[in-house]
Amino acid sequence: MNFRWLRSGRVVCGAALVLVVALSAMLAPLLAPHDPGEQDLLSILLPPAWMANGDPSFPLGTDSLGRCVLSRLLFGARTALAVAFLSALGAGVLGTILAHAAGYVGGCTDWLIGRAVDIWMSFPPVVLALILMVGLGTGTDKVILAIILVDWTRFCRVLRSEVMTVSRRDYVSAARLIGYSHWQTVTREVLPATLPLIITLVSLEMGIAVVVEAILSFVGLGVGANQPAWGQMIADARQNVASSPSGLLLPMLAIFLCVAGFNLLGDGLRRTLDVRQTAIRGA
Amino acid sequence: MLLQAENLSVTAMLGGRPMPVLRDLSFSLAAGKVLGLVGESGAGKSMIGRAIAQDLPMGFRVAGGNLRYRGTELVGVAAQLRLRMLGRDIAFIPQEPMAALNPVLTVWQQMDEHLRRLGERNATLRRKRACDLLEQMGLAEPDSVLARYAHQLSGGMCQRVLIAMAFAGEPRLVIADEPTTALDVTVQARIIGLIGELQARSGTGVLFITHDLRLAAQICDDIMVLYAGRPAEIGEARRLFRAPSHPYTASLHLAAPGMTGPRQALLALPHQMPGLQQIATLPGCRFALRCPVALPECSGREPPPPDRIQTASCWYPERATLIDTGAAIPVPTAADDAAEILRTIGLRKVFRQPGRLFGRGHETVAVAGADIVIRTGEFVGLVGESGSGKSTVARLVAGLEQAESGRILLQGQSDVPRSERRSLVQMVFQDPQSALNPRHQVADIITQAMLVGRPAPRQARMSRALELLRQVGLPPDVAGRTPQQLSGGQRQRVNIARALCIVPKLLVADEIVSGLDVSVQAQLLDLLLELRERLGFAMLFISHDLAVVRYLCARVMVMHRGVIVEEGVTRDMFEAPKHDYTRLLLQSVPEAEVQPSE
Amino acid sequence: MTRMIAGLLVRRALVAVPLLVLVSFLLFAALRLLPIDAAAMSLPPTATLAEVAAKRHDMGLDRPVIVQYGIWIDGVMHGRFGQSIALRRDAGTLLAGGLPTTIELAVCAMLVASTLGLGGGLLLFAARGTWAEAAGDLVATLLMSVPDFMWALLLLLVFGVLMPVLPFIGRLDPGLTRPSITGFLLIDALTTGNSAVLFSALRHMALPAVALGMAFAPPLARVLRSSLLDVYHDDYIRQARLRGIGETRILLCHALKNAIIPTLTLMGVQFGFLFGGTLLVEVIYGYPGVGNLMVDAVRNADLPVIQAVGVSYCVVVIAISMITDAAHQLIDPRQHAR
Repeated sequence: MNFRWLRSGRVVCGAALVLVVALSAMLAPLLAPHDPGEQDLLSILLPPAWMANGDPSFPLGTDSLGRCVLSRLLFGARTALAVAFLSALGAGVLGTILAHAAGYVGGCTDWLIGRAVDIWMSFPPVVLALILMVGLGTGTDKVILAIILVDWTRFCRVLRSEVMTVSRRDYVSAARLIGYSHWQTVTREVLPATLPLIITLVSLEMGIAVVVEAILSFVGLGVGANQPAWGQMIADARQNVASSPSGLLLPMLAIFLCVAGFNLLGDGLRRTLDVRQTAIRGA
Repeated sequence: MLLQAENLSVTAMLGGRPMPVLRDLSFSLAAGKVLGLVGESGAGKSMIGRAIAQDLPMGFRVAGGNLRYRGTELVGVAAQLRLRMLGRDIAFIPQEPMAALNPVLTVWQQMDEHLRRLGERNATLRRKRACDLLEQMGLAEPDSVLARYAHQLSGGMCQRVLIAMAFAGEPRLVIADEPTTALDVTVQARIIGLIGELQARSGTGVLFITHDLRLAAQICDDIMVLYAGRPAEIGEARRLFRAPSHPYTASLHLAAPGMTGPRQALLALPHQMPGLQQIATLPGCRFALRCPVALPECSGREPPPPDRIQTASCWYPERATLIDTGAAIPVPTAADDAAEILRTIGLRKVFRQPGRLFGRGHETVAVAGADIVIRTGEFVGLVGESGSGKSTVARLVAGLEQAESGRILLQGQSDVPRSERRSLVQMVFQDPQSALNPRHQVADIITQAMLVGRPAPRQARMSRALELLRQVGLPPDVAGRTPQQLSGGQRQRVNIARALCIVPKLLVADEIVSGLDVSVQAQLLDLLLELRERLGFAMLFISHDLAVVRYLCARVMVMHRGVIVEEGVTRDMFEAPKHDYTRLLLQSVPEAEVQPSE
Repeated sequence: MTRMIAGLLVRRALVAVPLLVLVSFLLFAALRLLPIDAAAMSLPPTATLAEVAAKRHDMGLDRPVIVQYGIWIDGVMHGRFGQSIALRRDAGTLLAGGLPTTIELAVCAMLVASTLGLGGGLLLFAARGTWAEAAGDLVATLLMSVPDFMWALLLLLVFGVLMPVLPFIGRLDPGLTRPSITGFLLIDALTTGNSAVLFSALRHMALPAVALGMAFAPPLARVLRSSLLDVYHDDYIRQARLRGIGETRILLCHALKNAIIPTLTLMGVQFGFLFGGTLLVEVIYGYPGVGNLMVDAVRNADLPVIQAVGVSYCVVVIAISMITDAAHQLIDPRQHAR
């Protein structure tokens, strides 16, 4: 693969942002000044260190239970990224397999998968994720599973039309005539053509997964109370928004940077990997 | 003078530097005359129309010379004046008629808008004028046509609508840019006739841009032949056709297979027209590299552009008459005792479009009972217009589609398993763009067949790839390239190489030379004949071009609306057709009234 | 023309009904199969196993799922959606109270999103080739990275807390009585001529609607722009220009109608997401719609309410996709004229 994608400003910026978040997550135990769950009830709702009542030992302030905001942000990044990578990959694999089955094989398979996607997409994704969490219970793995079960449809719908377009191309027919089995045809001829779209979608999906995880944590049905999560931080801070707006703004900023990184990366990849992209239209 | 160009040159920005696209272009078109601009793809002819409209694409600009319409300089003309002229004094007839109409507006909405712009304020009068115009164009039920959308009309009908709009403003100048290339040959004949009629009646000057020299000779008063962005020859149409003064014109003429007279060898010029980069850097005459009668001096200095005295841009124009094509390779016929490779009996294919929930479905009979016999080593042509079902037959024979009924016997056996079928029948596809996977290298593409079953080792595949490239006349360095880096002709050779990898007994070729320049087409046709001499395969050659079929195929079948209406030995059938449709097809092929020399 | 529209809608509705039944059944079954013991949850923790079992039998939870579903459908036909475990009222009444509020909010938000999005798309397109286009495109990408609930919180922070210009809790100023005829507050206020209520309702709706609108406008802008860019490459645009038609007319009469088709598809899909977004926005703004209802029900594992609200979400999404489909058919003649 040629490396023209490295020349795209968006790819570079997006990748840089993601890298920053990823490093913060990986190095969290080293970078965090405190244990994220450690409560110091004498120093609750402190503003960031550079402001009037700030305490330098809590660089970004504390929340309503006296927990260090910076530490919680760093460890929250772990949660966010773990969920993002695993669920995006899971949804991607599931969606890709079904999209190729539907688009390449066609006929009954296509109809069935199409109806399944229709049914799934009758629910707004947030609602469906919530309902699933009711049954699955809280926990990181449950969140990942819920996101995979909800978002595979996004992949499937977009990829299916691309798979169909590619499958109609003459070189796919030629491969079959030459004697390729269906498996060979899909892996050698169809997949290389759909791979750019898959990569783009996975990148965008990571951003979506971060948001869904935040929403679930915000509502209290996320990864669980004992694991720091950005959504939870927002829910907590919301109660005290008047006295400590930074507590609300900082996790929001974290989510924004993370999602913006994935979006820029995905957008840049879409533009550079395949110029004749028919499926995605800015969405 | 209606339209006059003097030393016009157009450049395009490529990699930050201006490259010449058109150079030293000088011509004059008088009122009421038809000037033909003939050139192959890449010659720059489409830029002329755009320069006149002052609608050059990004990065292109007029770098020098002038272009005058009735004395007014068009280059850099004021926007107001330009808008006033377009559609009124100067009108355009496009190449792809169905794409040139807005798909979400009815014909009436578009004609109404145009007529309103032309000055007719009264809606009822506009409607009447629209109906009159459409009737003049030969459309029987104008009200019905006006109510329709572009996709509900045929290509020919769309073109008539566009011609109606072009002539509605009683223009003085009409520019027709390949107006019939996208149309079937029978429709083409009628549209050309219509344009000629309208031109004669209203005294409009027409600039007729085409790649088909024969067609231009039929309708134009004067012709200018373009090569590599520069005029090669300019002169009166009949004279130019009968006795060309430039070796390129002569080559164009000799590269196109003819419909009348004895079967002659085609002149297959090597390589293809130089690209923009090369045009800028080659010394001397740009045609010298390909010219069959070039002398060493030709590559030294570029000959001056043609004018009224010296009508060819050539140092030795008299040498054009020396061009000799040599002996023709005989038409591939089957030996008397040759076995049958293919026999189809009552082949039938129906396409069903599923109806909406409570609507009825649509059924089209694409092929209604086709009986075909092809024997070892013979080339059989299948001709028809669009919608005749010939492509469907190709796909059925190749095994890409399942027939509703009927049998296909390969070497006398029906229901041949897929694993054996592949070494019996292979297909060469029409569109080299979609026929070659852009992500694979050429060497991998042409040896795909060796990866089936037990994949052959890389070494063996590479050597077979090089051998195949040699056979199809491509240099070995093509092996490492991707399809995007090849020209249309080269891609088609790769296409053929892939099909020949496991040496099938029958090749199905679906319109493989349409859309190619005539010189590249000639190369490929001769290549097919040579390969057949060496490898002995039979071919089912599908085409809409009767002249090509006459050159290539021993026997031919004519298909119309899913039925094979006539079949037989090519020579006999083309000289004495029995079926009305065959006769119609033959009459529609453009043939200048004068016979070519030799 | 109206006959065609009616025909289209009827056909779509007939397809939608089985879909709806299927979806509601799947939801029903999924909820019943989840490891939640609704009976136990509705009794105090001191209840004995026998009491729980009796309660289960009472609630009909020990019968096969199909039968339970049949009973539910029967109830729905009669306007009974099941008893909310937490609130002790019929889920249907709760739904009737909240659904119009949410729909009103969603529609207003969609109007905001469409105006901003389509307007932005046109502007971006008009600026093509200039530096403003690249800047605008980047801004749109960044804006898209702010999820709807964050817009809600941001706007609340800025316009509700830091600069208290707009209210951010509830639907009306306390002390104002709601006229309730249709349940759609704006319509009720307009029809009864109650300007105080109208004004207050608009002020309260401003922040949530704008928050949702800002979240869903950027994708629309980008799609419209890229559709216009694609359309401008098509031959018929060039031909229109060659006939001397001016650029404004080309954009408005020729290009836009074509470019709106893929945009419309996206708008339909986005409305579904937007409707889901009302869930959190209502929680954040204390807006008394079904979103709040749903979140509480989910927290309490209140199955009948989850079922009722879940199905109503589906109804709206399916209805929207029906409408989008019909609009598609109307605008694109390649669909309806053969």
